[in-house]
Amino acid sequence: MEKAAVFIVEDESIVAEDIRQTIENLGYSVSGIARSGEDALEKIMETQPDLVLMDIHLAGAMDGIEVARQVHELFKIPVVYITAHADDELLARAKVTEPYGYILKPYDERELYSVIEMAQYKHRMEQRLAERERTIRALANAIPDAIMLLDRQKRVIAINETMAQRLGRNADRVTGFPVAECNKDGSLDTVLRHLDAVIEYGRKVQFEQQDRGRWYEIALYPIPDIDRSLAWIVIQYHDITDHKEFEAQLSKEGISQIEHNMEQFQILNDQIRNPLQAIMGYIDIDCTVFTPKIKEQIHLIDTLVARLDKGWMESEKVRSFLLLHYRHGRDTVTEGKGKDVQGGQT
Amino acid sequence: MHTLMLVDDNPAIREIFSIFLEKTGFQVHVVPGGKECLDFLKTTVPDLILLDIMMEPMDGWETLCAIRNSPATRSIPVMMLTGKEPTPFELQQYGKWIEDYVMKPVDFKTLAGSLTGVIESHRNMHMEVKRLKTEGFDPAVIDEYCNLRRTIVVSKKLMHRFRDTWRVNDDGIRMQEEHLRQLRVTLGLPVSGQDMNRQVERNKPSDDDGMDEQSKYWRGNNVYHNNRSGN
Repeated sequence: MEKAAVFIVEDESIVAEDIRQTIENLGYSVSGIARSGEDALEKIMETQPDLVLMDIHLAGAMDGIEVARQVHELFKIPVVYITAHADDELLARAKVTEPYGYILKPYDERELYSVIEMAQYKHRMEQRLAERERTIRALANAIPDAIMLLDRQKRVIAINETMAQRLGRNADRVTGFPVAECNKDGSLDTVLRHLDAVIEYGRKVQFEQQDRGRWYEIALYPIPDIDRSLAWIVIQYHDITDHKEFEAQLSKEGISQIEHNMEQFQILNDQIRNPLQAIMGYIDIDCTVFTPKIKEQIHLIDTLVARLDKGWMESEKVRSFLLLHYRHGRDTVTEGKGKDVQGGQT
Repeated sequence: MHTLMLVDDNPAIREIFSIFLEKTGFQVHVVPGGKECLDFLKTTVPDLILLDIMMEPMDGWETLCAIRNSPATRSIPVMMLTGKEPTPFELQQYGKWIEDYVMKPVDFKTLAGSLTGVIESHRNMHMEVKRLKTEGFDPAVIDEYCNLRRTIVVSKKLMHRFRDTWRVNDDGIRMQEEHLRQLRVTLGLPVSGQDMNRQVERNKPSDDDGMDEQSKYWRGNNVYHNNRSGN
């Protein structure tokens, strides 16, 4: 592995030179030395070193802590402090800049080496972690559902972008706070009610709810820990408005189709019963005289039955089409018993 | 001799009913539609009108409304003789205005007795109404009483038909019957069960054992639904 490039910020040139010697002896390269904060920021930007060794006490407008803060913020380069004396107040300030290590003067070579190696390792790990978090975040945001992760104390661990928009809150503002605080408008009332059951019984809860003109399928899943105890709860909002509208459309069409069929049935009823009545009447009065008329009425019934059969065929065509198109996608259309379906002869 | 009017748009039906009913001893007028029926009623008042439902352009229910809305024809009894089952909605609306309804195809032998029964029952009711009016009872109450008596007849048939589909029970009918009983008390009429069921009883053929298989079939499936729920 290539040895790291180290930048040194030290206002005392003799000390700076000493550090440079030590660093180079340890096998690292020195990408530059600066004596003031302003100078340091400029050179660091140019040289983009792997690590910065920072003296806390610097002459000039900026002290080391301020420079370190800016380096951390602007370039995300790890900073290790070098200081002769560390009082508590100074260390407290330094802590805020998330330093990767402290080296107290006088230092020995071995200590410097291990601190630099540790800082680099820590930085690499942090980068990898940040990368993974970005990936997970991208994945979570790629899902159109609104998702929220809670711990068993009902505190928000994470939410995705869709959920942040739903709640009208910034994700960072919500994280770590009790979920009840996101319920100012009462839209989470039902969720909160079910939450206790999920925590207590560790079972998934799922329900549908209308919210601001859209329909959601809301699910609360328990996520078990390694020891199978409850670790987290996922709350998921799945938008089913389109599905609902499709269903409503289908049922509306279904109802009008049924009403049409019912009317047709009644008409057919009337049309079949009339010739039946005529036949019965002719037979009752004198069937020998009325034979031709009886045959005429039978023919009428035959025509009607043929129409019924044609209607069945048309319905079968529609049914086959619906089954073919929706059977795998949605279960709104279910296959008939099919015991007398002869495979749709057309 | 009773006078019947048959309103039906089917020429075969008109033909067989006029032959049969005349043979049975009725005087029969047949007309092909609602409009012709109303025209005819201007000159002749029959003892009973047999009315088909599905007719063009004026259907049976429209014709019934016109008959009931005219003072001259208001009290003529009407029986629906239909190929299509009346819907619950239709019966709810018009049930109080019809004596009964009969589904085609109907067996002539049982129909003849049924028609005479309806005419006589209506005549009895008519006389009862007349008497009650002279006795000074509220005409609105009398009207309600007559309507309810008719309604119960078709309600029982309707309930029987939908018993399995809707899993209905007899509560609605029992409430109607209780209401009828109260009206009878109000009007000073006897309230024995026998008397109240007269409307239903009339549909029973006088000679049960003499019925042939065919008649029993039609009795069981069509014309006499109300017998079962009535007893």
